[in-house]
Amino acid sequence: MKEVMAVIRMDKVNPTKKALLEVGIPGFSAISVMGRGKLVNDPSVITERKKTILALGRSTDDKVAEKMVVEFLDGTRLFPRRLFTVLVRDEEVARTVDAIIRVNRTENKVGDGKIFILPFDEAIRIRTGDTGNSAL
Amino acid sequence: MLMVRAFVRPEKKDVILGSLSEAGFHAATVIDVVGRGKQQGIKIGELIYDEIPKSLILVGIEEDARDQVVDIIIKNSKTGEFGAFGDGKIFITKLEEVYTVSSGKTGL
Repeated sequence: MKEVMAVIRMDKVNPTKKALLEVGIPGFSAISVMGRGKLVNDPSVITERKKTILALGRSTDDKVAEKMVVEFLDGTRLFPRRLFTVLVRDEEVARTVDAIIRVNRTENKVGDGKIFILPFDEAIRIRTGDTGNSAL
Repeated sequence: MLMVRAFVRPEKKDVILGSLSEAGFHAATVIDVVGRGKQQGIKIGELIYDEIPKSLILVGIEEDARDQVVDIIIKNSKTGEFGAFGDGKIFITKLEEVYTVSSGKTGL
């Protein structure tokens, strides 16, 4: 049994739910978290996104706004993400990971999230007392 | 690889994240949680507060960085020189695989 923890974009929650259902994994838990990834050292990666986000504001030459947007994009400050926790059988790990990666990948190069896979020892269904794989 | 889960005081969160970043462990996930520890919460007269707010910091690390990361978290989350009840706990579990969604690559 494996615990798949996926940190994904807030707007990808519904596609992820749908994709998991399609590969036969209906159960999951999700919570809102704040997080950051590796620092983006290459400014050219975020140039396009910076322009798009700054264009949403009223003025484009605002230094404070620009600093905030850059910090948000290069990962200096924490930003909101959704943490999905899915408990799966060993043989389901590969297709769960594939499904999550397929729907969460974007054109933005960075910030699409990470997937962690951890082992766990026992699962118990409270209603019946079932243990192991049949409880998942 | 290891997954470090540190329950710390919310007011120490920024200092810990700052020091981790300086040491090269920039990536982290932070969750606001409530809980109680061995002291069964805080008792003030008849009142018991057993849902004490804490921050849960999740960091994925390589196994050889374990001592360094634990040191950094302990050093920065301690209250005063000797620490105090409620400074938190650190749990470490095995982490088998890591995928980056944007590139599909494995590893931290």
